[in-house]
Parts: sequence; structure tokens; C-alpha cells
Amino acid sequence: MPAAESRYHSEVADAVSVGRLREEFSRWLRRFGLSADRHADLVLAVNEALANTAEFAYRRHSHPGAVTLTVRCDPATDSLLVTVTDEGVWREPRDDGNPQLRGRGIPLMEALADEVVIDSSATGTTVRMRFDQVSNPSSAMA
Amino acid sequence: MPDESNITDEVILPPECVVEEKWIDRIVVVSAAGTVDMLTSPKLEERINAAVAQKPAALVVDLTDVEFLASAGMSVLIAAHQQTPEDVAFAVVADGPVTGRPLKLVGVADIVDVYPTLDEALAKLAA
Repeated sequence: MPAAESRYHSEVADAVSVGRLREEFSRWLRRFGLSADRHADLVLAVNEALANTAEFAYRRHSHPGAVTLTVRCDPATDSLLVTVTDEGVWREPRDDGNPQLRGRGIPLMEALADEVVIDSSATGTTVRMRFDQVSNPSSAMA
Repeated sequence: MPDESNITDEVILPPECVVEEKWIDRIVVVSAAGTVDMLTSPKLEERINAAVAQKPAALVVDLTDVEFLASAGMSVLIAAHQQTPEDVAFAVVADGPVTGRPLKLVGVADIVDVYPTLDEALAKLAA
């Protein structure tokens, strides 16, 4: 498994930068040679963490602040660690009485990642996701 | 040996979503291609609402050519399901790792009818 850490950053957490960071992550992830299902799962989980930042973190601000995506693989545990960090405060999506329309971002992250931890403080929010068994089966057999 | 450090130096274009509408008798098919995320899903939602306003007998949202579907796009499907009049059938076409799989994972496929191909959706609606 490649040992690598990469960091992607945008000064403005908006829908456009979510798309760009998602695509950068997807390209970085290609080196693992994951199955199509697994690759898509990871890209979607990362997208949802980024999207939550763009949608919720800077609601009380006049302009959206920064978002940083860090990806690191841990060869010892064969896992991929992803963090998405912002400097805003997530506002819980309001229950508007329409439970079917409630956001699926966090349930998606929880369904797709092996572990999700969301740390919120007054200075920002960090989402940590862990994905296990990311080594390329073909290279493991070599 | 390829230099992997250059991978992210490739030009990354903003996500695009192409939405088309076609009618098969009284069934309207709204198909999306490309990316359906928080940036592009309002476009899909507008086209769905415009199609429903023309009073079809049934509405199909075809995601066959979608390359990325975010939760924002899933919310559009749920809203379409809720806003479609009761006498108008509603179906979604989705299959594979980027659309069909996540729709099942978070239970959207339990709320809306999802078919793997447009032909299967049309056959069901015409029956």
C-alpha cells in the first residue's frame, strides 16, 4: 500500500470547491486500485463531509470560510484516514416536519465509512472517517 | 515511472449536469448525465418540476448516465416523489456503484421505486 499523506485546501467552502476537492480526492484514491463499489463509497463519504461544511459550517458568517481535506493511509492497520476540517459551527439541520427530506449526509457517511467521529468546538468542526482494508488485493498477492 | 505527485495538477473542470426531457406517450422521462451534487441538483429539480407541471401520466427520472450522485441529488428524488400527484406514477432508473448502491444504502430505494434500466421502468409503468 502506498504510504502517503495528502492535503487539499480551499479558502472558500462552497459548492464549487466541494466539487473540486472531491475530484482531487477521487484522483488521489485511484492509486489504491479499489473496486468500483469501494472507490465510489469513499468518494461519496468524503463528498458528504465536505458538503456539510459548505452547507452548515458558515451559516452564521457573511462569507464561507476555509475547508481542509487531509487523507492519510496507515499501512500498519491497512486503513485510510480522512479528516475534513473547518473553522465554522455546524448548525444541526432543522427538523421541518418532513423526515423523508432530512439530510442524508451523516447517515451516508456512517453507512460508508468504518468509523465516523465528528468533533465540534467553538473554533471549528473536524470530521474523521476511517476506511479499513484499503490495500490493493492484486498487489497484496504479488 | 509515472510521477504521481502531478496527478492533481490536471485541470479539474467544475461538475456539469446535462438534463434532458423526452416524452413516450404520456410518460415523461427526465434524464440526467454527469454530476448530481449540491451544485447541480437544483437544475435537475427545476426540470423535474417543469415536467410535472405538464401533467404527465407518469414521471421517470433516469440516472443511467450519472457519474456522481450526492445526498443533495437524493433529496431531489424524495422531493419529486412527494410532490408528484398521487395519480402520477413515479420511478427512478439507477444501477451500479454510484447511483443504485447508495440509494439502497440509505433507504431511498425503500421510498421510491428504483429500476436498473429505463426499459424495465417503462415496462412497469405501461403495465
